[in-house]
Amino acid sequence: MSMARFSPFELVLLNSRSQVDTATLLLLAWVLVNRQHVSEGQRRRRLAQVTAQFRHGHELGPVMSIAHNQDLQAIQLAAEILRKECSQERSLSVLHQSITVATDDGDLSLANHYILRFLADLLNVTPTTLSTLFYELTGRPLTSPEDPSRHAYWQRHNPDYFNQKAREAAAKQQARDEAAQQADEKNQQRKQKKQRKQQEKQRQQEEAQARQAHARQERERQRQRDDQSRREQAQREQARQDRSRYERAQGERRQWQRTAPPPDRTTRALAVLGLPPGASRSDVRLAYRRMAQLHHPDRFFTESEHQVALASARFQRIKNAYDYLMQTY
Amino acid sequence: MRCPNSALRQDAESVLAVNEHREAYDTLHHTLNDIGCLRARLGLTHGAHWQGDVANDFSLPPDHAISRHDELVDRVSNAVSLYNRWRRWRGPWLLVAVFATGAGIGVVMGFALCLGLAAG
Repeated sequence: MSMARFSPFELVLLNSRSQVDTATLLLLAWVLVNRQHVSEGQRRRRLAQVTAQFRHGHELGPVMSIAHNQDLQAIQLAAEILRKECSQERSLSVLHQSITVATDDGDLSLANHYILRFLADLLNVTPTTLSTLFYELTGRPLTSPEDPSRHAYWQRHNPDYFNQKAREAAAKQQARDEAAQQADEKNQQRKQKKQRKQQEKQRQQEEAQARQAHARQERERQRQRDDQSRREQAQREQARQDRSRYERAQGERRQWQRTAPPPDRTTRALAVLGLPPGASRSDVRLAYRRMAQLHHPDRFFTESEHQVALASARFQRIKNAYDYLMQTY
Repeated sequence: MRCPNSALRQDAESVLAVNEHREAYDTLHHTLNDIGCLRARLGLTHGAHWQGDVANDFSLPPDHAISRHDELVDRVSNAVSLYNRWRRWRGPWLLVAVFATGAGIGVVMGFALCLGLAAG
């Protein structure tokens, strides 16, 4: 046995003249509380209007506040009383009142879809009867409740939100596109800059190479000039020596040398190798080899020192002539 | 971890990420829980109007809560019997007993006070 105090609804029931009416009142108040877009005053007035014929004999305020609190135990008690003490006619009447209260001028709320069906099950009303009753009262068929846990439901019932979201997404996409475009342009600029820099570098390298080549050519030319001048000097020196020798020889063999033309150095070198003037480079090489074999100092190592020295001098002269010819030819 | 089912993810984003939607969803969820509980206690879990996914999701196993109406009747009977007993005979005798107890305590305290004064 419970020692708890009497709950507010139990007290209301004990004070009621008709427990069935009070229970019906609470269930109708429950339906009204779950109706949307209705003010508290409107709910109270509507409840008073619907239950004008009831014989409960107490205030509606406590019942409304119990319904507002969604007191499950009170609703269970009301449902038990209704099931126990309601006749078939009264059941239909209660359902009739419930549908009226739930769908006065607006749509049936989702919660009331389930509450009406609960009441129908409680009062042993078949789905067909409920549908018929609903259609007769509202002029619309009783549809199955929608599912608010789906995206499609909210797309239908709150299109503003999704339109705004779509606009925001479009704006974001545009901003992203612009950012990407800017990044592309920046990349392009960077690439162009890099390319310009590379071209500049390449140009500088080419210039440097050209300068180096020019300097090399200059050096080469300088070297050639130096060689030329050295050779000319050597030739002049040689010519001077030859002239002095020639003059000395002229003094000795004045008679026949006065008539011979002074041979230049190439002719003399060819003569040393035993070749006529105008011989080719291969002739010179062959003649040198032959002369070198003939006059090499190693061939005379069995002879006297004097012979060896003479051979060395001869060989030296042949070699000099050959070297000179190799340079000039 | 991201949900691999894109449709489910889209549903969850539409319903749970928006406060307004979430409030409506939570309210209905609460109401359906209440109805499930009521149906379980009233033996209506297999009613003709309680089929499909919602019934599968919100049906509860029957608990041990007794009928509220029976409880009310028990409580009223208890109150009535208590009242009747009080009215019949236990009430006056209880009053007499309380009065006698109070008088006895008063006599004992007066006697102790007299002893104290005499000793002093």
